[in-house]
Amino acid sequence: MTISTSDKPFLTRVKESENDHFMQQSVAKAQDAQWDKRTAAREELGNWEQWRDLGEQIRQHVIKYLPDYLEQFSDNVTKKGGHVFFAQTDEEAANYIKEIAKKKNAHKIVKSKSMVTTEIDLDKVLLSLPDTSLMETDLAEFILQEDDWDEPTHIVFPTLHKNRNQIQKVFKKLGYSGTNDPEEMAKFARKYLREYFMQADLGITGCNFAIADSGLINLVTNEGNADLTMAIPETQIVVMGMERIVPSLKEAEVLDNMLCRSAVGQKLTSYCSFSGKQVVGESDGPSDFYVVILDNGRSNALGTDFEPVLQCIRCGACLNVCPIYRHIGGHGYGSIYPGPIGAVLSPVLDGYEKFGDLPFASSLCAACTETCPVKIPLHNLLIKHREVMMDKLKMDHSFNNVLMKGAGVATSSPILFKMALEGDHLGSAPLSKSKKTTVDNLFNYGHIEKAPSLGAGWTNVRDLARPPKHSENFRSWYKKHKKEQQEGVSHD
Amino acid sequence: MTNQNKETFLDRIATKSGRARHQLSKHPFIPVNDLPETTLSGKSQDELFEIAKKNSEAVHVTFERTDTTSLASLLNSFLSKKDIQNLILPTTDKWSTYGLSEWEKERSDSAEFWLPESSRKENLEKANSADGAIGFADYLLAESGTITVATTPGQGRGFHFLPTHYLSIIPKSCILSRSRQAMHKYEDAISSGKLVTSNINFITGPSNSGDIEMVLVVGVHGPLDMTYVVVEDL
Repeated sequence: MTISTSDKPFLTRVKESENDHFMQQSVAKAQDAQWDKRTAAREELGNWEQWRDLGEQIRQHVIKYLPDYLEQFSDNVTKKGGHVFFAQTDEEAANYIKEIAKKKNAHKIVKSKSMVTTEIDLDKVLLSLPDTSLMETDLAEFILQEDDWDEPTHIVFPTLHKNRNQIQKVFKKLGYSGTNDPEEMAKFARKYLREYFMQADLGITGCNFAIADSGLINLVTNEGNADLTMAIPETQIVVMGMERIVPSLKEAEVLDNMLCRSAVGQKLTSYCSFSGKQVVGESDGPSDFYVVILDNGRSNALGTDFEPVLQCIRCGACLNVCPIYRHIGGHGYGSIYPGPIGAVLSPVLDGYEKFGDLPFASSLCAACTETCPVKIPLHNLLIKHREVMMDKLKMDHSFNNVLMKGAGVATSSPILFKMALEGDHLGSAPLSKSKKTTVDNLFNYGHIEKAPSLGAGWTNVRDLARPPKHSENFRSWYKKHKKEQQEGVSHD
Repeated sequence: MTNQNKETFLDRIATKSGRARHQLSKHPFIPVNDLPETTLSGKSQDELFEIAKKNSEAVHVTFERTDTTSLASLLNSFLSKKDIQNLILPTTDKWSTYGLSEWEKERSDSAEFWLPESSRKENLEKANSADGAIGFADYLLAESGTITVATTPGQGRGFHFLPTHYLSIIPKSCILSRSRQAMHKYEDAISSGKLVTSNINFITGPSNSGDIEMVLVVGVHGPLDMTYVVVEDL
């Protein structure tokens, strides 16, 4: 599992981020710009809250029937001649992909931006193959790769923490001799990457949404590199988180509209593609098409309070409104999934030991919940994480566990239960009040005044009410009165 | 064609969720509202044209309007304005629909064609060497200024992404309000067998990126510029 981006303690990461003033300014600038663009795009669409209702409904529905939709999708992919591999862990997924690369004798691999391939550390695995090179083709990911695999800082804008001079320096290593003008540098990257693209024999993409009823993959991008990755190489491998699925093209269309508006304030990004294995007569597109469906901890959320986190469509809007993200940036979180969504998702995927600090990296202002296009209750889930951690990691449950186990045995056996009812008056005597409670004698101790260890909780501050004698308890009373009723005895 | 680990995987996640498998037929998805259908509905083609023009220009598209009689000269003007030396064209019977049979014939020697009988490598190299492409779109979405194209043997995927300058021809009657209406058309065409394709592209203006200091840069991987030509009389 490699969603972790740092071995340093949380507070050290935060300190380092606080000292990165360029990053802080960039994040603030991006958040402010995206606020305006996102708000305008949503207002122009109109009825945004009702769109959110629809988005939430689509996502909740597919998560509820996830096995059925995944089955439908995978059957449709195979019907069209593709291959589907269900991977429970990152290792399984990466090894499967590595085997395909070996089998296909791939030498030049192109990748389009994909968080899930970062999650399974795919680049490292593929680069371990002899005579194999790999190129991240999204401009930001390309910059990170060439800067010695620097970590992304945002799920939509991965190079937010880098300035143009730093990028110029990175490109100079590749033979660039121009200025630090973004347009000039982008043109250099276009030429450099195009040459590589034309020789690529294996393409790897992520997946915004898998379309269950057709077996197609929906990808949403602005640069066009994903489409070249799906057009040029003979083999394409799609890696998708198992929750990234929709029933049909219609629901994909709804979510694309919400995703683009929420992520970058566009009505639709430059390229929204719905794509699968090449069909007869077509000359480009993948003639070999593989889909890897990954769990890798996602199923930890199923059937729990954290299930709504699987609704996420990775728009990054929650990062763009978060005051904590504004302060510490992506690297402060130490996870490839930063911001509020990362603070909820990372502990679900990889546990509290590594990511237990993240649910506390929040002011609980709820701006994330308010902006989420699919209505994930993010701040409530952060609170829930805190509750679970407090209960799971800080509380000692050993005594309770033994006690409840005993109670379980006693209440499930009629004989033991009857014996307990008969003996409760006598058995509770040592801890029960020794004298009858009166106004003058409200607090009085039991026969045992000081108990050791956990028992002290009872003797120090509590008075145990004593159950009645067996002959005076409710069952005995009921039995007696029922009999009298049947015999017609009146108490009037 | 393999489907590895399917049953084990799906059984496991069903157990974890506490919900049984194979319930979907009893619980199909029924949307909570009809906003995708009703948003921007009830517009005339003229109104949709105006909305499409405004929204296309907002995403840096050169938007032209013409009719079949003037289309050829508009294409020539595009070629000369962009100084296109290596043109690529699709193989399609749409040329005659638009009254461009003669124009296409005149270019059979100078332009390259995306040919169904050519190999992957040949077609991709032709598109990569082209500094201009003139293609046909299926629909234009008014709300977002988006053209939609389904891949065909004569107009492949790379056709839309590799050339430097790109012009797309769309009949005015094929302007739709939004992406939902396009999805209906594609779903109908695919289910009736009229359309057999592996790929549908929704293209909204030229390729762009904001990855360097959030500065908008146009043309990172795909075409550097886009021209939409809406043809009347169809």
